[in-house]
Amino acid sequence: MSLVRQTTNGIYNLILGLAVTVKHLFKHAITLQYPKERWTMPERSRGTVVLLSDTETGKLNCTACLMCEKACPVAAITIEREKNPETKKFEPTSFTIDMGICCYCGLCEKACNFSAIKLTGKYEMSIYDKSELIYDMDFLQKLGRDVKYEKRKRVVKKTAVKKATAKPKTTEARAESGDKKAEGTSSTKDDGDVKEKPKNETEEGKE
Amino acid sequence: MFELGGIFEAIGKWLNGFLPPVWVTIISAVITGLAVLGFLSLLALFLVWWERKISAHMQQRYGPMRTGWHGVLQTIADGVKLLQKEDLMPKDADRIVYFWAPIICFGAAFMAYLVVPFGKGIIVQDLNIGILYIIAITTFTVVSLLMAGWASNNKWALLGGMRSAAQIISYEVPLSLAIVGAVMLAQTLSMNGIVSAQAGGFWHWYVFREPLGFLVYYIAATAEANRTPFDIPEAEQELVAGFNIEYSGMKFAMFFLAEFVNMFTVSAIAVTLFFGGWQPLFSFLGFIPSWVWFMGKSLVSVFVLMWFRWTYPRIRVDQLMNFAWKFLLPLAFLNIILVGFGIVVFK
Amino acid sequence: MTVKELKTEEFMVNMGPQHPSTHGVCKLVIKMDGEEIKEITPHVGFLHRSIEKIGENRTYAQFVPYTDRIDYVASMNANHAYVIAAEKLGGVEVPERAEYLRVIMAELNRIASHLVWLATFAIDLGAVTPFLYAFREREMILDLFEMTCGQRLTYNYMCIGGVNWDIPKEFEPKLREFLKIFPSRVDDYEDLLTNNPIFLYRTKNIGILSKETAFEYSVSGPSLRGSGVKWDIRKAESYSIYDRFDFDIPVGYNGDAWDRYRVRMREMRESAKIVQQAIDGLPGGDIQTKVPRTWKPPEGEVFTRIEAPRGEMAYHIVSDGSTKPYRMKIRTASFCNLQVLPIIGINHLIADLVAIFGSLDIILPEVDR
Repeated sequence: MSLVRQTTNGIYNLILGLAVTVKHLFKHAITLQYPKERWTMPERSRGTVVLLSDTETGKLNCTACLMCEKACPVAAITIEREKNPETKKFEPTSFTIDMGICCYCGLCEKACNFSAIKLTGKYEMSIYDKSELIYDMDFLQKLGRDVKYEKRKRVVKKTAVKKATAKPKTTEARAESGDKKAEGTSSTKDDGDVKEKPKNETEEGKE
Repeated sequence: MFELGGIFEAIGKWLNGFLPPVWVTIISAVITGLAVLGFLSLLALFLVWWERKISAHMQQRYGPMRTGWHGVLQTIADGVKLLQKEDLMPKDADRIVYFWAPIICFGAAFMAYLVVPFGKGIIVQDLNIGILYIIAITTFTVVSLLMAGWASNNKWALLGGMRSAAQIISYEVPLSLAIVGAVMLAQTLSMNGIVSAQAGGFWHWYVFREPLGFLVYYIAATAEANRTPFDIPEAEQELVAGFNIEYSGMKFAMFFLAEFVNMFTVSAIAVTLFFGGWQPLFSFLGFIPSWVWFMGKSLVSVFVLMWFRWTYPRIRVDQLMNFAWKFLLPLAFLNIILVGFGIVVFK
Repeated sequence: MTVKELKTEEFMVNMGPQHPSTHGVCKLVIKMDGEEIKEITPHVGFLHRSIEKIGENRTYAQFVPYTDRIDYVASMNANHAYVIAAEKLGGVEVPERAEYLRVIMAELNRIASHLVWLATFAIDLGAVTPFLYAFREREMILDLFEMTCGQRLTYNYMCIGGVNWDIPKEFEPKLREFLKIFPSRVDDYEDLLTNNPIFLYRTKNIGILSKETAFEYSVSGPSLRGSGVKWDIRKAESYSIYDRFDFDIPVGYNGDAWDRYRVRMREMRESAKIVQQAIDGLPGGDIQTKVPRTWKPPEGEVFTRIEAPRGEMAYHIVSDGSTKPYRMKIRTASFCNLQVLPIIGINHLIADLVAIFGSLDIILPEVDR
């Protein structure tokens, strides 16, 4: 008797499995035809690292404070700097990031107080030679040309030691750059401005 | 209308006009043989694509999309790639056996079609022992798998080859016994005879006379075609790729195509034995060509085999044998007894 | 030739490092008699990256991205284990909202990790389709992670003192949508596998892990609970804010592969329940406590453990008062769980070994660190 029950039970469950697969046969595919179509990258996406320039002067925001170099856990960032005799301020003479060893953790962006370095949603960086993955300052600046961001206010400098204070501004800058990044993708994100609000709230909560 | 059987007859008549009868027989056999070979090669290519598409859509993917309309030419592209590949042979392989295994596999898969009636009059040779011939010839596939497994000089391949031998010993028995039921009903071993015995509407089909026989046959046939849940000789998760682990290039392609041809073979036999072959569903639907009926039914059966593959896990080798000997075999005997009673009672 | 003269001999097979069912680069040297396994020797270390030693050469904040790489299938949980240890060491208070976010992320990642396990387990048994169904749902979770922290695999989401990013506005509706459809999707997987006779044949009474063996080899996580031991750090030694949520700890009875499967399937539903409660009760406020950039915890040592998807993940950190840990020891569950494989895998067929290996849910980078 138990054999009969076992058999009918088994057949029922086998048919149940067939029903699940055939149900899916008529559903729409959820995958994407990659090179033709692309996902919209979220605005916080952490891909290629870029250097940001001032929107007006076109000069790099970087002040060569070496904060990112120190924060980088894999030592992918190398900066050489020089003191400008006129302004008595440091300026980077060379800024290289080895994308081959970069782990895209975003700690450099967190450490930066001058909105100079940023991880963007760009992700296609295949090359033929490994040495081409070492990005120099000009290339990083070129990559960052079209990235929108909001520059941090000077307030930050005072509390620069505390990373927590600097943080919400970073997210705000990210939210800003959202619609810019979607440019390479098939559809555009429309909630770029919507996103600002919760950021501001947290910012107020901090200060 | 569009009956292809007439074409072969016409060619035969035309040749008869100026050639001695011996030559006519030889030439028509060669022509039909080549036609079947060409058709099956195309069919195998199509089935590979079809399986990829079905599996993709069952898993909410697209499957091949780039080559041709929805990737129809993908299999041809893959074939060309395999042709260009280096034909590797392991250093310590048994060279002769290694070389012949895929050829036997490929040949056996195609030879079975000698007696398969594709439609009214479309049959290469209507042997009077047709079904027996098919049982005999399909077993060659296993010999080739065993050869491949042994000759590769690889432990995984050897396990795969041994598994296939164990599997065929278990499955050939219930498979043959399931066929006996249909033969008893039709009173003939000829494939054409079995088909014509089921003429006149779908209620004459043997699947309704002996459903148990069909069930046993279909399960055993899944194993015969090495399809999941019975694809244990290949079992890529356990034996990596089983018997064909060392094969590459065109030899691998031969195994691969043979698998799909085999799948169509067992479907075609299932259709012939249990679903009235090329007979239409109702006799008033007879205006649709018989080969369309045959292909339609066979492809539905192939689809079900694919459906199984993309739904079920794989059974273990000892369970597979247990299942065959302790479950399918008694069922097959029961089927024979029931059919015998049926014949006595209803005639 | 009589039967007596027929000589059979056992043979050795290298299963891995390149084998589709070893889930990475694990090498199992198997002694087989026909298809029956007589001896298993796991060889580990192919993926060794000396993460513990790296931890001693990085500052506390710098090490967080490395924890992602210990268990890349459940990076959030690996993050969580480390930040809890570091916070305990330095006595850092974590804001309420951050705790809730951590729990949401950790539980979502537990679901994602179990989905990867389900996918690979099904494919090990030859069922290919559940693989893609499971990855479809995992994709939804990864999308949630990506919109929050910008990465799909190595999140670096938690930091000492809280979390790095607040959730974006579209996170909550998407999460609720996921929680709504997820139970029905789990039903789909169960229809495909749970009572399928072939699946039952392949997993019932296969690789029975007794309670005693499990204790001896300090097996943990769902593999332990499958043997009927109700031990879950989330309840037994509640960390973070897990004591506020209502959830069950599923346990098995026989300790076979099927029980381990059932425990994980039910755990996914329980995790979804926790996420539901957490998102409903998510408070406002800060997401991060201020921690100085050059953070120096006081001298001392700390040992904390959490319930990662694969079992207990523990950190033992010794601090000498500098910016870097003096010594760091990471206890990962997979390493211990792998050790029972030679015990429970013998006298099975090779097909069963694949099923047992899959049911133990071993992630090789976690084994080798």
